[in-house]
Amino acid sequence: MIIAARPRFRWAPYRALAARAMAREATYRFDVFTSIGSVLVRLYLLKMVWTALYAHNTTPAELPLHAVITYSAVALLMGLVMDIDQTRALHDRLHDGTIVTDFLKPINVALSFFADGTGEVIFHAILIVPSLVLALLVVHIDVPPPMTLAAFAVSFVLGYLVGFWINFILNCTAFWTLEISAVQLIVTWLTDLLGGEIIPLVLFPVVLQKIVFVLPFAAMFSTPLLIYVGIISPSGWAAAIGVQAVWAAVLAFAASLMWRAGTRRIVSQGG
Amino acid sequence: MAIIEAVDLRKVYRSIVRGPGLAGAVKALFSREIEETVAVDGVSFSLQPGELVGYLGPNGAGKSTTIKMLTGILVPTSGTLRVAGVVPSERRQANAQNIGVVFGQRSQLYWDLPLRESFELLRAIYDVPDDRYRTNMKTFAELLDLDRFLGTPVRQLSLGERMRGDFAAAMLHDPAIVYLDEPTIGLDVVAKEAIRTFVAEINRERGTTIILTTHDLADVERLARRVILIDEGAVIYDGALERLRQEYGTHRTLVVTLANPEQRLDVEGATVESREGNVVRLRFERKKTSAETLIRRVMECCEISDLQIIEPDIDGIVRRIYTEGYQDGAAGTPS
Repeated sequence: MIIAARPRFRWAPYRALAARAMAREATYRFDVFTSIGSVLVRLYLLKMVWTALYAHNTTPAELPLHAVITYSAVALLMGLVMDIDQTRALHDRLHDGTIVTDFLKPINVALSFFADGTGEVIFHAILIVPSLVLALLVVHIDVPPPMTLAAFAVSFVLGYLVGFWINFILNCTAFWTLEISAVQLIVTWLTDLLGGEIIPLVLFPVVLQKIVFVLPFAAMFSTPLLIYVGIISPSGWAAAIGVQAVWAAVLAFAASLMWRAGTRRIVSQGG
Repeated sequence: MAIIEAVDLRKVYRSIVRGPGLAGAVKALFSREIEETVAVDGVSFSLQPGELVGYLGPNGAGKSTTIKMLTGILVPTSGTLRVAGVVPSERRQANAQNIGVVFGQRSQLYWDLPLRESFELLRAIYDVPDDRYRTNMKTFAELLDLDRFLGTPVRQLSLGERMRGDFAAAMLHDPAIVYLDEPTIGLDVVAKEAIRTFVAEINRERGTTIILTTHDLADVERLARRVILIDEGAVIYDGALERLRQEYGTHRTLVVTLANPEQRLDVEGATVESREGNVVRLRFERKKTSAETLIRRVMECCEISDLQIIEPDIDGIVRRIYTEGYQDGAAGTPS
């Protein structure tokens, strides 16, 4: 069977790749239980730490204790999908050279990595539900009005995309360096600290706030969380979400440049 | 009409010259000194549908570079290439649908899932129709004895099992052309034989065009009638394996085990190659002395307990061509 015509685009390979990624994640059952367990332990610790901190300091007006605990709990649950390095497979396959076999297949290789990452994320997103139920046993989480929840959802998706492209760009650097763990460590540290996953950025000194709020990291965690707890009021939603959208677009563009340069390197050097 | 047509294919790798150590690495960041390495230097060949060709050469001769250009991963620096009517590097995906590839050193199976699920995934990727998938799986399971380990995660398979899985994976979508890059490397005798039988079967039954690169010349002897020898990026021989054997494999060896270890052995038409105890290796030119004559002479002079004739192996022939260069009609010049 010789096919000379341009093959039409089919979704089936990417659906199959996503399904395979879900199956793969499910094989590591122990990880699933430990990740839910660790959410509960961390929630409990965060509740203790914030309660102790608030007991000995003046309470910030915009962020009372119940709000900061809600913030931390939602951040932890977001982390279940946000902390996944969806395109890690790209780095791994560049590292061991198996990327060549991907280019031997009749698929769009970049899309195949996105499909794989999507499957992984869907699997972990499902884990949010039992984690949330268990979390409610440990802490009280405030529930905002439906419009705020909707704005949070939009902001969460954009924040996810920002994180996705940052990870993809990092994994693309393996086209040149093969080893990226040091850079990745620094970026993880920056995301944790400057993204607002652990400490709400509004508690930072004002000067520092001016800097961190324009960095892409704040678009990942801080913006959706501040919408959730109401610090970004409905009048500020459009601007905050707009900034996230700009970051997502800029990073997607940078990622596509990286990908093109990287694959050109493969076709001229043979991987 | 040829199914693969390569004309004057060249591939030049460009890399930035880098000195030793950290200083060299830093300097290379700023220097634009480019070093060019010619990997493939004007290779031309053409294959008819259904041919099985051995593509041979020493390490670094340009075999893998050629294969990568045929798959569309690498863009040739110059020259033209058509595989089943498609220019591979321009339409990688269309080309991919027509070809199957097995790398002995690299698996295309998915590491963390059972073998069967790798096949299911490939079925979706290549859009294999249901009936073809079922028929192929049944055939491959029989030929390659896959049933025993279809449910085993790929990372737990032995090398022989994994290679059998890789062969099935490469043929699942009925490709018209298959490239085998050192497919039997590291395998034991049984696994090698299973793979060779499978390749011969696919080539014969389905008329699949196959290019085989290997260092194990037993693969070539068993499977290919035509060989292309390349060295330093250029073709030095393209033709029948049998002709190589006739022109370069002109001598044979008669191994004689003498009944009496003290016995001298000196017969006309042969030279003693080596002697260890009572085992004597006699070398003779096939065209000057027949095996029958030589054996008669040996038996006239001595009492023997065993005899064995060793044909020239293709390994020795190819080694001789690489060291001496290929000359048309080199027959009769014993090395």
